[in-house]
Amino acid sequence: MGPAGAFVLLAWILLASVLVAGARLVLRWRRGRAARVDWWAGLVALPRRYLVDVHGVVARDPRAARMHALTAGGLLGSSGLLLLGVVPALRAGVVYWVLVATSFAVALAGSAMVARRRRPVRPAHLSAGGFLWLPVWVFLYAAGGLAGAGAIVLTASPGLGFAAVVLAAVGGAGLVSGLLTGPIRHALAGAVHLVAHPRPGRFAGRRESALLPLDLEAARLGVAVAEDFAWNRLVGFDACIQCGRCELACPAFAAGQRLNPKKLIQDLAAASLPPGARPAYEGSPHPGAPPPPLAAGPIVGAVLHPDTLWACTTCRACVAACPMFIEHVDAVVDLRRHASLEEGALPEKAAAVLEAIRHTDEPEGNPLAARGDFAAGLELPVLGAGESTDVLLWLGAGAFDLRYGRSLRALVTLLRRAGVAFAVLGAEERDCGDLARRLGDEVEFARLARANIAALNARRFARIVTADPHALHVLRNEYPDFGGCYTVVHHSALLESLLAEGRLTPERRLAGRIVYHDPCYLARYNGETGAPRRLLDRIAPERVEMARHGLSAMCCGGGGGAPVSDVEAVRRIPDLRMAQAREVGAQTLAVACPGCTAMLEGVPEPRPPVRDLAELVLEAVGEG
Amino acid sequence: MIAHAEALFQPLTIRGLTIRNRVMSTSHAPGYGEDGKPKERYQLYHAEKAKGGIGLTMFGGSSSVSLDSPATPWNQISVADDDIIPWFRQFSDRVHAHGAKLMIQLTHMGRRTRWDTDNWLPTLSASPRREPASRSIPRAMEAEDIARVIADFAQAARRAKEGGLDGCELSAAHGHLVDQFWSPSVNGREDSYGGSLENRMRFGFEVLEAMRQAAGDDFVIGMRMSGDEMLAEGLSHEECVAIAAEHARRGLVDFLNVLGGQARDHLAHAVILPNMSFPVAPFLHLASAIKREVEVPVFHAQRVTDLATAARAVAEGHVDMVAMTRAHIADPHLMRKLAEGREDDVRQCVGAGYCIDRIYVGGDALCIQNAATGREAKMPHVIARASRSRRVVVVGGGPAGLEAARVCASRGHSVVLFEKDSVLGGQINLAARATWREALSGIPRWLGQQVRKLGVDLRLGIEANGEMVLAERPDVVLIATGGLPNPGLFPGAQHAVSTWEVLSGGVVPSGSVLLYDGMGQHNGASTAEVLARMGCLVEMATLDRMIAEEVGTTNQPIHLRELSRAGVVFSPNFELVEIYPEGNRLVAVLRHTMTLAEEERIVDRVVVELGTLPVDGLYRALKGSSRNRGVIDQHALVAGRPQPEEGEGFALYRIGDALAGRNIHAAIYDALRLCKDL
Repeated sequence: MGPAGAFVLLAWILLASVLVAGARLVLRWRRGRAARVDWWAGLVALPRRYLVDVHGVVARDPRAARMHALTAGGLLGSSGLLLLGVVPALRAGVVYWVLVATSFAVALAGSAMVARRRRPVRPAHLSAGGFLWLPVWVFLYAAGGLAGAGAIVLTASPGLGFAAVVLAAVGGAGLVSGLLTGPIRHALAGAVHLVAHPRPGRFAGRRESALLPLDLEAARLGVAVAEDFAWNRLVGFDACIQCGRCELACPAFAAGQRLNPKKLIQDLAAASLPPGARPAYEGSPHPGAPPPPLAAGPIVGAVLHPDTLWACTTCRACVAACPMFIEHVDAVVDLRRHASLEEGALPEKAAAVLEAIRHTDEPEGNPLAARGDFAAGLELPVLGAGESTDVLLWLGAGAFDLRYGRSLRALVTLLRRAGVAFAVLGAEERDCGDLARRLGDEVEFARLARANIAALNARRFARIVTADPHALHVLRNEYPDFGGCYTVVHHSALLESLLAEGRLTPERRLAGRIVYHDPCYLARYNGETGAPRRLLDRIAPERVEMARHGLSAMCCGGGGGAPVSDVEAVRRIPDLRMAQAREVGAQTLAVACPGCTAMLEGVPEPRPPVRDLAELVLEAVGEG
Repeated sequence: MIAHAEALFQPLTIRGLTIRNRVMSTSHAPGYGEDGKPKERYQLYHAEKAKGGIGLTMFGGSSSVSLDSPATPWNQISVADDDIIPWFRQFSDRVHAHGAKLMIQLTHMGRRTRWDTDNWLPTLSASPRREPASRSIPRAMEAEDIARVIADFAQAARRAKEGGLDGCELSAAHGHLVDQFWSPSVNGREDSYGGSLENRMRFGFEVLEAMRQAAGDDFVIGMRMSGDEMLAEGLSHEECVAIAAEHARRGLVDFLNVLGGQARDHLAHAVILPNMSFPVAPFLHLASAIKREVEVPVFHAQRVTDLATAARAVAEGHVDMVAMTRAHIADPHLMRKLAEGREDDVRQCVGAGYCIDRIYVGGDALCIQNAATGREAKMPHVIARASRSRRVVVVGGGPAGLEAARVCASRGHSVVLFEKDSVLGGQINLAARATWREALSGIPRWLGQQVRKLGVDLRLGIEANGEMVLAERPDVVLIATGGLPNPGLFPGAQHAVSTWEVLSGGVVPSGSVLLYDGMGQHNGASTAEVLARMGCLVEMATLDRMIAEEVGTTNQPIHLRELSRAGVVFSPNFELVEIYPEGNRLVAVLRHTMTLAEEERIVDRVVVELGTLPVDGLYRALKGSSRNRGVIDQHALVAGRPQPEEGEGFALYRIGDALAGRNIHAAIYDALRLCKDL
């Protein structure tokens, strides 16, 4: 057997190793819960998911995209070609070897780019450890492959060819040795993940963001140990390549809270292994978190500090940044569901809030009839059962907040000014359940959802309008699972259309530089970034953008129950966000969510005033 | 944001009437009534509060229902005939336009009034017992009088309703006719209106029943009453609770407006209208105790000067409505500022009692620190921006200079303020050093915060001269350099020290001290108290007939109480005519103003209070080069018109004590009325 044969043999040996490793991974994943997967649809969609969806995210960093295309393309192309070399006729042709050499050359270039990512200084969001060896293995494999194929093309001495095969074998061995716990595991798990993804609705430009209902009759509620995850969730954790984009996007991490979404996914992947077999993690830690005890048992405690769980604002910045479409927020909520429903292990104030919801249908225990108090003097029409109106105004929990009452008064005044027929539910509006659901209390969420749906279904209206993006998300995207399907409009969209139709006429343009902060639940959860901007452009000539805006906007820190969980931090998330607004010279910070208003207005002065879009529109059209 | 602020924004529904929030102003008599009617000035004063977001404003303290309860004292309102109805209509339209509710207090004052005014009818009461405060001896009411007064109340309630008011309260506090019947110290009757508590309450029951019948079921009728008369022979707390509970139980009242104390004598006035020497909300517990016993909403007023206390009172369930009457005199836009998240901008009542003290001597209620209150027709609470921006230099950071800087900066002018001291406040900083007068410091604190917010260029620790002022190339120069103590002209005046030197700590007297007060204001009395508390043996002499004669009804008794407690000897009717040294002591010669006999005192110190003389050196230096030679056109000023703009160069004006030594209100009014048109 000449060097050509040896090359082909090497490829087949490597393939065999991959299959063996794959089988072992499959065995590991099979410990997870069963999941319904449409394999056929997944397989058909795979090329598109990989080449369009994944690539679309990767390409937000063009250099990373080039690196990945060269490395992955080179490795897959060269190895695939070598496997085909089992056909003797093919193996005998020069053209074949030129192709092999070319694909190895591509991989070689990729290895250089992989190496360059961590040189001269490794950026903090990229991991070390096995990742430092990855370019070496790719280099050896590709260099050996190129040399060998070159030797065969140039008919050099077989000794040279064999030497090259050995070199490639060393590189190849290095790569496959990482298939179970090393970086390259991502390739194998990633492919399976894209086929068997738990949320096919994430691909092809769709943004499925609703949490999935929990089967409250299940033997175990939520996730305590790795085996409680559905098997394809475990695949997702293994698909992580530790690129650190989630870490860069995460507000809790930036604030120095004990949450690094990248480490979280690695922890969850490691949790399915026995303590001794867990791979070393050499990226940024959960800031300030004590090292876990390296024990078996429940994930929270053995692998994760509870703070990691409760620091998450569910802003989905990590999910949106992840090129592998990993579902960080689903995992966090799964863990919270168990902590909340089975362990009762909640942060003190979060427990109090859930208690209040249980007894009063309201997170702060306010009487539901007082929800309209903010409008005293404005005469809010209440929609009785059986009555009908055009707009049902969903007030949300912000109505109980003195500051936010000002925004709602502005909205009510504007609706009246524009002649919109509207009414509220009055005491029949219960909390929408967003907070309970994000804190993992699916029981209370389901109860509130059913009660609200019953109240809504007893009345007729064309659409629900709300100024609260959390309520909007829940009513629009999460109530359908409970039988409530409504047209839900954010007040920014309604006000924008009223301005566009001339039903509201700005009397003056607002002075000064206005910066709009996107609420996560409006932008990332619902993709609505246009209406608020169009609205502002009609009333404020000087609008500028922060570096992080639209779908990549940074969270204010107010979502997911983070304010009531009150996890220790080094900095406050809203302070960071306000600093970003100051950076672009904001003289007014426009917001569109009661949570954002409260969080950002909590930033100490001097800072630009924080004003809801409704307040700004009212100022523009005049108090009247 | 203050804690529990949302508690204040809960609407309150009483008998179908929804009040938009929990903050109100109680009925009082600001002295704005004209011919017994609430005319424009009175209406604008309340409309301003409505504009400022108040839930309920009640007017017409002690509005009279009968001819023998005259409206003249304190320029009250007479509801004794139908002429009042159109005025009520105009008034309620004005207030309702801003979303607030409007109610009136109805009363017959019984013996607590004068017989020698309006109709020259004798006063009446349950029994002919003299009232110390009004010094009137009433005649005892006969059955016909009782029936007539009850009918008068009923007619008055009907008039209030026909006038579009949202409700009324019956006054059974401050020793008016209804509580004269309640109190065994006044009611010595032996018929069915005297004796047992049940009998003593009968008159009030019949009044309320008649009012309800006349006004119908859709009209709010409440009652104002004391929660404890705090008087040995008066109504105890337990009796007051029982009275409140019985009225509520019988469904006679839609709300109870509870206060503490009574108003029978001088000190009682100071207690029932607590000034800055009292803690905040001193009698909230009385209202709270009644709230526990009744099903109707409870209102309460008495030195709730800040929103945080008000919010606490409602959030903790002590009361349903908090009355911030004097707080609204200081800042009628209280609730609007709270709603807009601008509670830091609230001009908080300091409890000086300037407003209430003025009405007891027949004046109109004016706020020591807010010169726009009660002058809404001409003075703005919200300063409008000027059409063109000017460069303004203010010299002096006392109340006049600060108010001038605040108003000018609000007008959009660019303002530089020079103050030679390192802190703002001027003479108020001295006054605030005197024991319970400390709260005066709130006045410059607010003004200082506002001018900083408005971007006034503050040059502290710099004594401005003409060159420095002109270097700013000003369009307007305002001299607010205040005054310095007037040393007096009597022989040996150089041996005396001023009250300033004592309060500033520049001189620390010991031993025996004669304090001579030629002003009769707070200054002398509070310095005497400081001296006594330092351990000095103090004699306070004054040429007036009484110590602190110019200090009003709610403050003078506190001075007299504190000075008496501290053992200060009062020597009224003496004039200081000479001081000469003898050894290391001083001899002060006092001449009795009535007998003209002279007496000598040998003391360690003589402290004099003779007011201030203007500091006007800078004014004189700049006068020649100013375009108006420092003259203020008085006709324009009083009419609220801008000053004439003739000539080239800068305009020069003097305000506050730099013009003539007066008081804080005068300084602030000088500044506001001049600067609002600059």
